[in-house]
Amino acid sequence: MTPDAIPAASPSLARLIQELNRLPGIGPKSAQRLAYYLIRLPSEEALALADAISAVKSNILFCQQCQNLTDSSPCGVCTEPQRNQEQICVVEDPMDVLALERTRAFRGLYHVLHGVISPLNGVGPDQLKLKELFSRLTQEEVKELIIATNPTLEGEATAMYIRRHLAGQELKITHLARGLPVGGSLEYTDDLTLSRAFQGRQEL
Amino acid sequence: MAPPRTYHCEALILKHVPFGEADLLVTFFARERGKIRAVARGARRSNSKLVGHLEPLTQVNLSLAQGRGGLDHVSQAQLMESFAPLKDDLQAITKGFYLAELVDGFGSEANPNQPLYQLAVAGLNAIGQDPESELPLRFFELHLLKVSGLMPELYRCVECRTDLAPGSHRFSPDVGGCLCPDCRPAEAHVRPLSLRALKVLRLLDRSQLREIPSLKLSDSLAQEIKSLLSMSIEYWLDKQIQSNSFLEQLHREEKSRVYS
Repeated sequence: MTPDAIPAASPSLARLIQELNRLPGIGPKSAQRLAYYLIRLPSEEALALADAISAVKSNILFCQQCQNLTDSSPCGVCTEPQRNQEQICVVEDPMDVLALERTRAFRGLYHVLHGVISPLNGVGPDQLKLKELFSRLTQEEVKELIIATNPTLEGEATAMYIRRHLAGQELKITHLARGLPVGGSLEYTDDLTLSRAFQGRQEL
Repeated sequence: MAPPRTYHCEALILKHVPFGEADLLVTFFARERGKIRAVARGARRSNSKLVGHLEPLTQVNLSLAQGRGGLDHVSQAQLMESFAPLKDDLQAITKGFYLAELVDGFGSEANPNQPLYQLAVAGLNAIGQDPESELPLRFFELHLLKVSGLMPELYRCVECRTDLAPGSHRFSPDVGGCLCPDCRPAEAHVRPLSLRALKVLRLLDRSQLREIPSLKLSDSLAQEIKSLLSMSIEYWLDKQIQSNSFLEQLHREEKSRVYS
């Protein structure tokens, strides 16, 4: 929505709506609703939001080791002494680290790619944090690389690219199991997932 | 009586992008309806009944409901063919993405093109059967131009309309195909066309996809044909093919690995 489309003669309101409209999933109507909500908020609450955005933009940086977003580099996960330094789990996005940390199933280190190879969108290996991963593997004593990209075609292509690049190196490369989700249903499961679930079946 | 608000179709999934909190905006090419974009609600949740059925490069049966805002909604999806051999190889996946990008570029909304649908499905099968070979892609590119009504003229000079005799010809997508040595249209972007390349293009034109694997080309001839077809495709699409750069990168890396 352009500022001219705002009926009220308020350039600052128009600007706020325009900026909110840039956010993913926020259309012009939602941007208007959010803008009016922010106007009605007490000043200190609205300013706290603005301050949080400003702080994030000035303080957040990439961890020099795992490339996750952090306030200080190396990040808290990389400096935690109890972590298994011989395992690195490769994920697409910082949010995937949060999801895996919630499980408490993994106590190794991470590497965040910040995306996946997406040929249709012109995203190749050079646009990801792959160079950093490969250089990290030469510097650290890593024994297992766990590829935890999403089980999408682009995630699989990224996993294959990493495996191809590291072929011949003395490194165990694994990826997360493919199969049925908890609460899912065989009837609605696609053939590829079902066949991989069969291949990865476990003894009870 | 109001027309029904739901419909079914057989389709090839070309791509999807995240949409809203947990939805996908899916682009697919339907056998009888052409290119369609539709929203699949909740399809990014791991327990969605749609998950896995809407991945790019899969052939599916879809049930859709017409949406009010112009975007239809996917209500059911049943996988028909996952092209599993293609998805086990990085080169084949990338070629599949390239094919999907071309179908997306040449397919138009609400404009059915069954030959294009059949060509795309056959192309994905051929890539899966021989991931190393470039010929299924060259066949696909030439026949894509054909089924889109943009086939370059390979038998006569596009200017003087005389049959092309063996010789040094030139090729230009601007004027619609081959030029004899005597014709030099002004402002056309022309490039040389070897007799061997012309013969291969004619052979691809007349062949069936299943006959292609027996054809063996030298590297230089394969490169010439690839370049001519890419030039035609980019001319008609008026843009670069995004997936081509990653495909080229894989080729370069593969070559350097072989020679190292």
